Amino acid sequence: MSATSPQIEASESAILSVRNLAKSFGGLKAINDVSFDARGGEVTALIGPNGAGKTTVFNLVSNIMSRDAGTVVFAGRDLAGLSPVKIASLGLIRTFQSARVFPGMTAIENVMSGGHRLGRHSLPSQMLWLSGARDEERRLRRRAEEMLELVGLASFAETHATELPMGAQKLLEVVRALMAQPKLLCLDEPAAGLNDTETQELANLLRAIRKLGIPVVIVEHNMSLVMNVADRVVVIDSGAIIATGTPAEVQNNSRVIEAYLGREDHGAA
Amino acid sequence: MLEFIQIAIGGLVVGSIYAAIALGFSLIFRVTGAINLSQGGFALIAAMIGYTFTVTFGWPLIAAIPAAVVTTVIAGVVLARFTFVPALSRLSNANVLMLTAGILTMIEGFSLVVWGSQPYATPPFSGEQPLGFGGITIPTQAFWVFGATALIIVALWLLIAKTKLGKGLRACAENPAAASLMGIDVPRMTLLSFGLATLIAAMSGVIVAPSTSLQFDTGRLFTISGFVAAAIGGIASFPGAVIGGLFLGLVTQLSTAYISSLFSSAISLLILLVVLIWRPQGLIQGGVARRQDTRDEVKAAGHAAKLPDHLGWPLAALAVVVAALIPFVVTDNGIMSGLVIAAILFMTLMGLDVLMGYAGQVSLGQAGFMAIGGYTSGYLAINYDTSPVLSILAGIAVSIACALVLSVVTLRLRGLYLALATLAFGLLIDSCAVGFIDITGGPSGLVGIPSFSALGFTFASPRAMYYLVLALDVIILLGLVGAVRSGFGRALKAIRSDQMAAAALGINTVRYKLAAFLISVTLASLAGSLYAFFFNFLAPEMVGTSRSLELVAMLIIGGESTLVGGLFGALLLTLLPVIFAPLAVYKTFASGALLVASFLHLPQGIYGGVIQMISRLGGVAPREVVKTEAVKS
Repeated sequence: MSATSPQIEASESAILSVRNLAKSFGGLKAINDVSFDARGGEVTALIGPNGAGKTTVFNLVSNIMSRDAGTVVFAGRDLAGLSPVKIASLGLIRTFQSARVFPGMTAIENVMSGGHRLGRHSLPSQMLWLSGARDEERRLRRRAEEMLELVGLASFAETHATELPMGAQKLLEVVRALMAQPKLLCLDEPAAGLNDTETQELANLLRAIRKLGIPVVIVEHNMSLVMNVADRVVVIDSGAIIATGTPAEVQNNSRVIEAYLGREDHGAA
Repeated sequence: MLEFIQIAIGGLVVGSIYAAIALGFSLIFRVTGAINLSQGGFALIAAMIGYTFTVTFGWPLIAAIPAAVVTTVIAGVVLARFTFVPALSRLSNANVLMLTAGILTMIEGFSLVVWGSQPYATPPFSGEQPLGFGGITIPTQAFWVFGATALIIVALWLLIAKTKLGKGLRACAENPAAASLMGIDVPRMTLLSFGLATLIAAMSGVIVAPSTSLQFDTGRLFTISGFVAAAIGGIASFPGAVIGGLFLGLVTQLSTAYISSLFSSAISLLILLVVLIWRPQGLIQGGVARRQDTRDEVKAAGHAAKLPDHLGWPLAALAVVVAALIPFVVTDNGIMSGLVIAAILFMTLMGLDVLMGYAGQVSLGQAGFMAIGGYTSGYLAINYDTSPVLSILAGIAVSIACALVLSVVTLRLRGLYLALATLAFGLLIDSCAVGFIDITGGPSGLVGIPSFSALGFTFASPRAMYYLVLALDVIILLGLVGAVRSGFGRALKAIRSDQMAAAALGINTVRYKLAAFLISVTLASLAGSLYAFFFNFLAPEMVGTSRSLELVAMLIIGGESTLVGGLFGALLLTLLPVIFAPLAVYKTFASGALLVASFLHLPQGIYGGVIQMISRLGGVAPREVVKTEAVKS
């Protein structure tokens, strides 16, 4: 981060501070006064019933949608008015709810494209086949191969990404984001559409990411996954935060049980 | 004042026809989401058939006109059944647009074969004597035009708004998938809308025929005017089409009368570009806003074949050696010139492939940059004795300057609107090439351009030029291969398939699209200059919109996103008419038909076919790269 970037007060050790975020669609308050922190080295999970506004929070954080109010500070820098590209180049890398592998490319090309923001060699040196550019390309390929190995897709390196099963595409998208060496990784429902085995693989991957020291914010539906990997859980219902805490705390919180977990048991409250 | 009213009435007559054709665009767009550029071609065909029936066969009007319209509609529906309808489910909307440009070219080629290139004048329906109203004279045909247009508008409105069929058409427009679940036969509705649009076009064609002169390529004018009118008014809206048509008619007639006939089309195109910047959806908007984080629907557009490296490099080296030996075998100057032309066009095609094949940015105005490069360097070489190398660089500089201005419009647009903006740009350059007589020599062309020379050597013979262009081609190809195989190519492919996901990885979509555009512009400009130096002459039609469409055809026929594919298309379309000279009259038809056929049946192009053959001989499975593009639905 450059020394001139504006410093905004944020809680100690928070890589991402979201304060008083708000967004309305027409008359509907989709997000209302949402504040939370994501701390370095932790996995923070954003959970909540369908339509609670979890993905909208992601879209507001990454400036894919403009927010009505609130601040988002990432690594000490206010993200207001920055383009999604700029935000990514600061090291906040996000994935999307539906697997968005690049259809025109093989699995390894997809993963390599994740390393794009770290590339140092420009178009002219690529056009002139300079050895620096070619070395960089080779290093990128090696790293991508390691990534594929990490998720057990090494043998599918030359397969077209879209021909892989959904679970593999999701994992591919996560390691593609990992290739960008994120300072914070935001995963939007990575387990959606995965079967139990694939979810287990994903959980392993998330634990591996945490071991690398990369903080993660994850929007997720799958409770067992969240309880398994998350350090802290933020529960959203109808666009507002209703609980924050460790998985165990949240699990026993009566408001959470009422709004989310207990809805089926107790009927509509 | 009288004069003004007189001109304005003339403008409304022309505008009514534009409005009718624009309605056809709007109808097909609303039902299918695609643009059908062949519209004007059907207007021309109907007018030509009408001429044949009335003048050649001597049929009475009352029989000849309906017969001409019916014949055209049947031909249109049959053509659509085998081209447009199947294409809709396989190709992106931008590619459907280019396919219909191919259909338009086919129709032009057909007219050229049947009716030749001479102009035809059809007699008016109700005699030559115009009607006078207090000093204003109105030709009787104007009343036919107004009447027919009014009839078309009312009938179309009744059909869409008041009938069950109209409801079905509207359902297809809103949501084809849901419509088909409701039991609406979407392909049939598509065919119906195409038939209706053809009916409208055919009616306008026969009615307007007496007030204009008809030639095999007049259809293109109908198409462009109707398209521009629809785009100005708002392509998704029927009132927009009518208003856009009348507005365009008035503007062109008034600017012809009061400013200059040479720039009347330039003015309407500038209006279009302004509308595209200010309100891309046109003055009157239709449709709904889309959620921002949902991905554009992705349609696989076939596979681009790729040779494995251990076969690719030796074959490329072999190809260069063969190319270098060709002048020792081929002695015919005509064929040699054809080879030079193909090699020059290949330069443009490599750039166009980076832009279209890799970055997924449609360009229907690429020859416009050939024109800017060619005219700039030709003018400098003739008037200031500038050395060819310097003039070429100056041409590139001017082209890049124009490209940067154009990119203000194009970088904001995708798919259809991008195609439209680039087409408008190409047409604008066309009319400037004709209009700036002092610089370009106008319609008769820029004469006396010297041959290319550098380092004391003059490349006057086709043979010398051949080696020069071949060397340049090889250098450019090597550079571009290096780029598309590295981060640059991956970034472009990522942007092509999913802009938002690319941006989320820190890929600067604007910068990469601009880079691809500027590469294509530089190469087009260079090629345009070499073209001018080779012919010692440059005329507007050599680097006009037909050339732009031909370039797209060459690229698609040869094989997109392969870089080398364009060479096959260029060789085929350039050499065949030279080698089989008596068949030259069929060239336009063949280029259109080949484009349509390639889109539908040879998605990998000729190059893909060749690769498969080589791989089979070499006993290796070809590596297929899935090629897809984001489609705005």
